[in-house]
Amino acid sequence: MSAPPKEGNPVRTFVDEVWGSIFRHGLPTTDKVAARTALTNFFLHIHPVRVKKSAIRVSYTLCLGGLSFFLFILLTITGLFLMFYYIPSVDQAYQNIKDLQFVATFGLVIRNMHRWAAHGMVITVWLHMARVFYQGAYKPPRQFNWAIGTLLLLTTLLLSFSGYLLPWDQLAVWAITVGTNMAKYAPLAGPYTRYLLLGGRQVAQGALIRFYVLHVIALPLIGFLLMVVHFWRTRKDGFTGGL
Amino acid sequence: MATVVGGGNGKGDGRGRTVRTPRAPLPPLPRPITGPELASPPLVVRRREEEETVVTFPHLVWKEFLAGLAAFVFLLAVSIQVNAPLLQRANLAITPNPAKAPWYFVGLQELLERFPPVMAGVAFPSFVIIFMILTPYLDRNPSRRPQDRKVAIGMFTIYLCLAVAFVVIGVFFRSLAFNWDWTMVLGHPGLSSPT
Ligand code: HEM
Repeated sequence: MSAPPKEGNPVRTFVDEVWGSIFRHGLPTTDKVAARTALTNFFLHIHPVRVKKSAIRVSYTLCLGGLSFFLFILLTITGLFLMFYYIPSVDQAYQNIKDLQFVATFGLVIRNMHRWAAHGMVITVWLHMARVFYQGAYKPPRQFNWAIGTLLLLTTLLLSFSGYLLPWDQLAVWAITVGTNMAKYAPLAGPYTRYLLLGGRQVAQGALIRFYVLHVIALPLIGFLLMVVHFWRTRKDGFTGGL
Repeated sequence: MATVVGGGNGKGDGRGRTVRTPRAPLPPLPRPITGPELASPPLVVRRREEEETVVTFPHLVWKEFLAGLAAFVFLLAVSIQVNAPLLQRANLAITPNPAKAPWYFVGLQELLERFPPVMAGVAFPSFVIIFMILTPYLDRNPSRRPQDRKVAIGMFTIYLCLAVAFVVIGVFFRSLAFNWDWTMVLGHPGLSSPT
């Protein structure tokens, strides 16, 4: 931001140069500097430069969309850590989880965080949908963003559901058995859908690897893509703001 | 230089509209104005009153940071206190009783108890998803004010309550063979604490 000093400590000058090459702006002392910061920073430019005062009251959004996104990031990070230890094989998965709980440093707390954040995300996404509905924020021009949101809700549920199987304990296998049994009831396609989902007639190795791939690759990618579009649309359609 | 119609504080007419007169004289009109056009003279540009705004950085970013931090601390505290469940290793020969879906799908399981499977497992969920996606296109009411949206809000509230109720029933009031059971919540008569 500031011009490099003409003389003086060369280390200081170097540090200033490096710092200035990363952060191209000073502290937001004036609105103009603040606006430039938001525009030139990759992570901040997801936001508009200015926002309605009424729209960012905590009581308006209750932070719910933002919290859903935050939990998604947290789940990605903790999930990455779990992936270092987890092998999607019926012979090893359960023992891997046990090791995570009792052997790996911080394994227990990371697993707990992943689990509770996943439940939390289902709740925050659900409540976010309710807040959007009650404020009529789905009305034109935001109809399509509501549709994207519905798909995000489904993706969130499926992400949580596919992760449920991975510990390969009694809770996991039977919850997935009950859950996928519901697919069976669709006329004609039902039994085939279930077979496709499980890679067999029972919840076994075929199901585990399918759920694993869905859980760590396919659904997060779909979810991320949908979120990108969701945020883009929120930007383009403008944020509703106070009623 | 805004000319305010309808009185007010100089910012608007109290209904969110400011009427501005243009700075430069407009070019002559191609033809005389008659009839309904007079009702909205083209010489006046109407626009919605600008709402007060603040710069995103730091106002919003700061709030997001705090919210994220609070969520993280809360989650960490919960995760230190409460362990994620892990039962016995999976065994397809032993069916637990009751076998329940994850809680967010237990509502569907509850529906299965009450309706034929094609309805509960397929028709209802598909209907809910499709109806949800179509909601903005079906709701033709342009107003966002709650007092104008009694029907929509009523319908949505009923839906939310039903969804929550079915999940609560499935999780807390269904035990062996998914049969109704008060005792999980209320305890056994004659026993001091709920089992
Ligand atoms: C993974 C799930 C989701 C994430 C991460 C997410 C994130 C967000 C964020 C950050 C916003 C900005 C405002 C706020 O924080 O409330 C937003 C707005 C919005 N979301 Fe979501 N959302 C998700 C799911 C949904 C769902 C399920 C719906 C509805 C079915 C939905 C509909 C909308 C709409 C219509 C807006 C614009 C609201 C306005 O302008 O007031 N979103 N979303």
